[in-house]
Amino acid sequence: MSLTIFTILPLKTLVIILAGTCLAGVVCSLMGTFIVRMKLTSLGFCMSHAAFAGSALGLALSLPPLWFALAFSILVALILGPLTEQSRLQPEIILGILFSLTMALGLTFLNFIPDSALSSTAMSILWGSILGISSLEVWYLAILTFSITLIIILFFKEFQAIAFDRKMAEASGIPTRPFYYLILFLTGITVAFSLKLVGGLLIFALIVNPASAAYQFFHDFKKILIFSPLFGIFFSLSGLVLSFLLDLPVGSAIAIVSSVGFGISVLFSPKRRKG
Amino acid sequence: MSQPKIIEMNKVSTIYEGEKTPALFDINLSLNEGELVCIIGPNGAGKTTLLETLNGLLPHTKGEIRILGQDIKKKGIYLRKQIGYLPQEFTVDPLTPFLVKDIILMGRYGQIGLLKKIPKNDYILMEESLKLMGIIDLKDRPIGKLSGGQLQKVMLARVFAKKPALLFLDEPFSNLDYHTTHRVILQISRAHDQNHWTTLLVMHDLNLIPERCNRILYLEDGRIVKDDIPEKVLTEKLLEISVR
Ligand SMILES: Nc1ncnc2c1ncn2[C@@H]1O[C@H](COP(=O)(O)OP(=O)(O)OP(=O)(O)O)[C@@H](O)[C@H]1O
Ligand SMILES: [Mg+2]
Repeated sequence: MSLTIFTILPLKTLVIILAGTCLAGVVCSLMGTFIVRMKLTSLGFCMSHAAFAGSALGLALSLPPLWFALAFSILVALILGPLTEQSRLQPEIILGILFSLTMALGLTFLNFIPDSALSSTAMSILWGSILGISSLEVWYLAILTFSITLIIILFFKEFQAIAFDRKMAEASGIPTRPFYYLILFLTGITVAFSLKLVGGLLIFALIVNPASAAYQFFHDFKKILIFSPLFGIFFSLSGLVLSFLLDLPVGSAIAIVSSVGFGISVLFSPKRRKG
Repeated sequence: MSQPKIIEMNKVSTIYEGEKTPALFDINLSLNEGELVCIIGPNGAGKTTLLETLNGLLPHTKGEIRILGQDIKKKGIYLRKQIGYLPQEFTVDPLTPFLVKDIILMGRYGQIGLLKKIPKNDYILMEESLKLMGIIDLKDRPIGKLSGGQLQKVMLARVFAKKPALLFLDEPFSNLDYHTTHRVILQISRAHDQNHWTTLLVMHDLNLIPERCNRILYLEDGRIVKDDIPEKVLTEKLLEISVR
């Protein structure tokens, strides 16, 4: 396949694809700003594996995979949230176990998917398939992106204080627990809704990489919240182009492009001493 | 009728999660408004635990705590808006994406409340407290790029800008140079009087106890061993064992 695909596709399909790619880039990297800062990356990985397992189960039962993905990733947030809140427990161990368990469940459920569906749909939840995305799914993503942006603007003070230091935020009189769970919950939804596009195995690249790149450049949290989604759009669109050029699954292409992007941002980061 | 107490602890014990022995044991304490109390004692005595139990960051396992007449377990969020807390040895990693002015303003976010814009006056308070600490030139610097002493001054400016009713400071001088320490002690005493604060000050160097201090608590093994006016507590023997 090559870039001629952009000229062959009907305009409407092209718009859906581009909108879906941009929206997923924005919403994933917005949540990534918090996930990276609050050191919740392993928890996020678990959520995306769980969403993948949920999706696979949905397909195996011939029920809507999206809602199963959603239920699974939120379940992980509800189980792991309280564990990560306690400093005494070592959540890494439990995360490590869940990490492989959710993946194993996902792969097991894949085995039960009726043969007819296996080829395309099942592979799409693993690796992502931009061509399989429907306009309804893009609308969901648009509503989600809008809601998350609105929530961040409305509670900017609280999110900012918690992103600095949760204990200090609590000491200043902010009820941090509801906001902590809100972040986990919104990440779960984001993962579930972007799954189809990037795939369960690699969606986390789109959450972690743009945000990590933005953290290399700025000392101001506001700027990071603006540039992280811009990097997200840039990485996911370049990934899309790369996937058509080299005939790669779109998830892999985005993961490669965004990792390279992060590498470059570290090299050029004004925050690091050169020499 | 006696004056209403601003802090009341009634048989309070605190056990850290997973521990068997309490870090605070059966503490009774009552403080009047306007007191400036120094808390001393050896490492591991429970000084930090006492401050964090009082402001509800650490849930106590027994007894009752009332601050401003309210139960800390029920009104924790409301009460923490009235308490300026400077934690011991606060550190940040160098990539922390916040500027000094953000950090100072954030101390006030709890009071400002949900869904409210930061009032103009808060920016004035921020600048004032930076000037008070003599660090107005650090205002736009990233917080991760400060020296230990500069960071400590920023955190002090943060609690000053909060204009709390109660001030809990946990070893606020540990990173400051000689001159700054003395200036900060003076500023704490002055602000304490001007704002009618009730101040709890954890410290190690007994030579630095402010003149204004009216009461000293000596902690050991999670208990208040002595609670009296400075002249009585600072006996020769105590000086020997608690000076670092
Ligand atoms: N997170 C924790 N988990 C378990 N035990 C703890 C924890 N923090 C402190 N402790 C224990 O509680 C006791 C009191 O500790 P605390 O930090 O209050 O001492 P401190 O008086 O502030 O000492 P320092 O002068 O060293 O700051 C100590 O025995 C300590 O080992
Ligand atoms: Mg201490």
